[in-house]
Amino acid sequence: MAVITMNGRSARLPAIVALATLGAAALGLAACTPTQSSDDSGGADAIPAKIVIGATLPLTGTESKTGGRFKQGYELAVEAENADGGLDLGGKKVPVELKLLDDTTDQAKAVNLAQRLITQDKVNFLLGTYSTTLVEAQSTVAEQNQIPYVNGGGAATSIYGKGFKWIFGTLAPVENLATTEMQWISEQQAAGKLPKPAKVALIWENTSHGKDFRKGVKDFATAHGTDFQIATDESFALDGKDFSAILSTVRTAKADLLMVDAHLPDFITMQRQYLSSTMCNKLITYGARGAESDARAALGQKGVDYILSAVWWNAQLGDKGLNKDFIDRFTAKYGAAPEWYQAEGYEAARALLAAIAGAGSVNKQKVRDTLSTMNIDSILPGGKLSFPPANGGQADYPFVVQQNLPDGTSPIIYPADVATGKGVAPNPNCKG
Amino acid sequence: MREALTLAISAILLAGFYAAMAYGLGLIYGVLRIVNLAHGGIIMAAAYLTWQLFDRFGIDPYLAIPIAVVVFFLIGVGLYLGLVRFLPRGPAGAVQSLLLLFGVWLVIRNIVYLLFTGNDQAIQTRYATSSAGILGAHYSVTRILVFLVAVVALVALHLLLTRTYLGKAIRAVAQNPDSCTLAGINVERVYAFTFGLGTALAGLAGVLASTLFAFNPSFGASELLKSFVIIVLGGMGSVLGIASGAVVLAFAEVFSIYVVPPYLTTAVGFVLLVVVLVLRPGGLFGQRVLR
Amino acid sequence: MTAARPLPWISLRALITFAVVVLVLWTGPLVLPLGDYTHNIIGLTFMFMAAALAWNWLGGFVGQISFGHSAMFGVGGFVAARLMLAFGLPTVVGWLVGGLVAGGYALLWGHPTLRLRGPYFSIATIGVGEATRLIATYWSDFTGGSSGLSLPLSSGPTKYQLYWYGLYLLVAAVAISYWLRRSRIGLALLAIKEDVEAAADVGVNATRYQDLVLFLSGTMVGVCGGFYASYQAFIDPQDMFSFDRSISLILMTVIGGIGTVLGATGGAVVFVIIQEFLLANYSQLYLGLYGILLILIILFEPLGLTGLLLRLRRLIGYRRLPADAGGPASTAAGSATEAAAAEGQKGMAEEAQP
Repeated sequence: MAVITMNGRSARLPAIVALATLGAAALGLAACTPTQSSDDSGGADAIPAKIVIGATLPLTGTESKTGGRFKQGYELAVEAENADGGLDLGGKKVPVELKLLDDTTDQAKAVNLAQRLITQDKVNFLLGTYSTTLVEAQSTVAEQNQIPYVNGGGAATSIYGKGFKWIFGTLAPVENLATTEMQWISEQQAAGKLPKPAKVALIWENTSHGKDFRKGVKDFATAHGTDFQIATDESFALDGKDFSAILSTVRTAKADLLMVDAHLPDFITMQRQYLSSTMCNKLITYGARGAESDARAALGQKGVDYILSAVWWNAQLGDKGLNKDFIDRFTAKYGAAPEWYQAEGYEAARALLAAIAGAGSVNKQKVRDTLSTMNIDSILPGGKLSFPPANGGQADYPFVVQQNLPDGTSPIIYPADVATGKGVAPNPNCKG
Repeated sequence: MREALTLAISAILLAGFYAAMAYGLGLIYGVLRIVNLAHGGIIMAAAYLTWQLFDRFGIDPYLAIPIAVVVFFLIGVGLYLGLVRFLPRGPAGAVQSLLLLFGVWLVIRNIVYLLFTGNDQAIQTRYATSSAGILGAHYSVTRILVFLVAVVALVALHLLLTRTYLGKAIRAVAQNPDSCTLAGINVERVYAFTFGLGTALAGLAGVLASTLFAFNPSFGASELLKSFVIIVLGGMGSVLGIASGAVVLAFAEVFSIYVVPPYLTTAVGFVLLVVVLVLRPGGLFGQRVLR
Repeated sequence: MTAARPLPWISLRALITFAVVVLVLWTGPLVLPLGDYTHNIIGLTFMFMAAALAWNWLGGFVGQISFGHSAMFGVGGFVAARLMLAFGLPTVVGWLVGGLVAGGYALLWGHPTLRLRGPYFSIATIGVGEATRLIATYWSDFTGGSSGLSLPLSSGPTKYQLYWYGLYLLVAAVAISYWLRRSRIGLALLAIKEDVEAAADVGVNATRYQDLVLFLSGTMVGVCGGFYASYQAFIDPQDMFSFDRSISLILMTVIGGIGTVLGATGGAVVFVIIQEFLLANYSQLYLGLYGILLILIILFEPLGLTGLLLRLRRLIGYRRLPADAGGPASTAAGSATEAAAAEGQKGMAEEAQP
């Protein structure tokens, strides 16, 4: 190293010594860090003046639309609870307050704000944020601080596979989405409407959502032996612009069923390119996408005809009991029909409130235990909501499968007990 | 073989869009030696403008092109006169221009976000899903139209730069600004015009993009990066160079599917960028090497 | 310059001031009633300061603006996390190994690309950052793909303790900054930044020096990535390798004052404070406000807050610098000389003239 020297000595040796000392010091000093004095307990049994539930949601940022919807759900549930004075704790009515912060769809902020809610605002419990990675990051904070965390925004099984005790999720695993759709497809195969074996082109976005979807399809196919043959299995990056490469692999595979998992913008782009290349398959699904009004607006009715989709909840699920109650309340407050986002938010909040009431106190441990063992009536498919510890606290119920029909409706076609219409297979516009 | 032909035509169509996307960036860098980091933001803003014109006034996107071009030309000139003009020339200015225009990009993003929220938007024209047949395979009508517009733009730009006095002045300034002053060319005015033109071209790209893709305020980042790849590949010396760079990138992306999984085709462009920069710092066609 | 000092580039006054500041920061949380939240945020800020300083070595000292430093941040974080998960390595060791791997990665792509000057290099770094992000997201065996990696909550230091770990990181970063700047190496770097060819003419081996700085920068940022992994206990590639992360490093340093030690550290503090404040009150606007801040800085005070401070000092009659520093259009030489002179003056505190 040609160093410009001024007094004739190289500067290397002292520098190396300095760095080495620094390194050793760092390693040694790292051992000398103070530890925190232990904090107060998980909450006394005394009845507080109000119950504070903290939450962050992506109210701005890329997921702001969905964040806003979850907010609607949370607020509706809390409002309903406060309608008669509050939550009943040991005979006394305690009002519930929702402290909602904006995490701008940023993981680090979701973590920090959760921290703030717990240590500074001293909330009693937490409701979750939206989108899997944010929930996964935020859940570690809840677990570290031992505070019950109920969310309707994280569906990836990886969140619940860590052995956490304080995390509960109302979203059923995305694998169920695939499984439920495959079950309907199996029925169609049995009725001779779809070929057996059926060739499947499986395309998935490279996110936890997509990976879980893929797992669901593959597991079902393996369990059903020769009924399905996975001809293509490819992933794509989010916000792709050109799907011609992927679509050409689908075309060469000559698949019967095209099963894709994508978010809205990619769905629109891909479906457009699919339609313009005049490809056609006997059945198409884009996971949870297809029935939204945004999709119809962007692609036209013909562009979304016969697309199969499966969602966690659908307003057509019932005009009785809890469902009717929820839909009426929602429409009265917001003037529009709810979708699954609001329903999941609502249920998450309602489950937490029910657990507090069931435990009869704001003691965190007691509420957690109640959440872990509860099994309440619910607006979700199946009519019941529980957080089985075997699933790490993630609820488990079938999805509702719906299909876009040319008349503009998207009836539920499966499971049979909640179906409002009959599905159509194969796609009449595509016989080959 | 059929498959390869279909992919090739697909690549050519894509190259058209890519070229349109890169013209603006290349022009500004070639003449002013400024890296316009706001390029992606302009493309996004133009997409939103097109959408609004379509949504509110029913103007077809392709007919909106003249409007967008004029609007963004003015915006570009405004940016130059108001901000870019004050940057120092030379190496120090290069770094500062990067950061300044990045700031402009952030501001544009925020404005669009405030006006239209972060939701995804898309333009649904009657012919958005129609297709036309070329050599046996079908391609989306919009992709073909985008290609045609890009070619027309290329020809127009080429004519502007070679046949008009203004174009010659631009090329002269790109080569040697000081001599131009001696020759009586108002260099500052040329700079302002060029910046405006570059922004207008980005606006054009935005209009085209709006017909092809769904978009939100974060749109434009990957377009910016790919534009860099293209101008490095093809050099900024000429419009034809940029078009060649676009063709190389488009073919690399489309045909890389034989080599890498579809997920990584976007990475191909970036890897190509780094490799080319390292092997031929002046770009594939040996243009000016920046010292 | 006085002779007979073992390390000629440290002045005694600077050392003492530095030690005092560190002591204050070390004992602060133990005597002040800081809330948990503030305590943790400060700890995280120390890490950002260290990362900004590391970026500054390449961006400010050598003059090569990197838009892709998140690549090293992510590599360091994931290597550290993987090692801790697979071999149960102690935290600091994991960070160090992660950092070294990140430094190696930086050398891998940086050695050939540092030949390029100015915008070409910056553009290349954008390409590197994005390519790394895409490949890392695809490579699930290493990064867990889009599901990310989770670290067990029970092992390693708590968020409370990470405050001090962050402080040590910062100390190391400041020390290295000083060494790079004030020693012979610093002069060589300055020469390279000004005019590579002239520097080569006087015998400065540009490649060697740039590689050294690149390696150090990459390693430090990689260690910061490891820190972040331990802090969050969950990392995923889209977040770790994001373009926004690279940008935040640049913003911090530019706002504070590119090329100066105080600038990078102060800029990080300002960045975090602004972010917290904006998030609380104007979350809809913070992108735009950053943009405007950046524009104003570039146009009026390219040396950022440090530049403002310098002007203030001059205004109150503190006469040290030759002539003036010009207005918004200061020449490169002018601002570089000023930066060098500023460096000679500043540091963590006032000190005697070198």
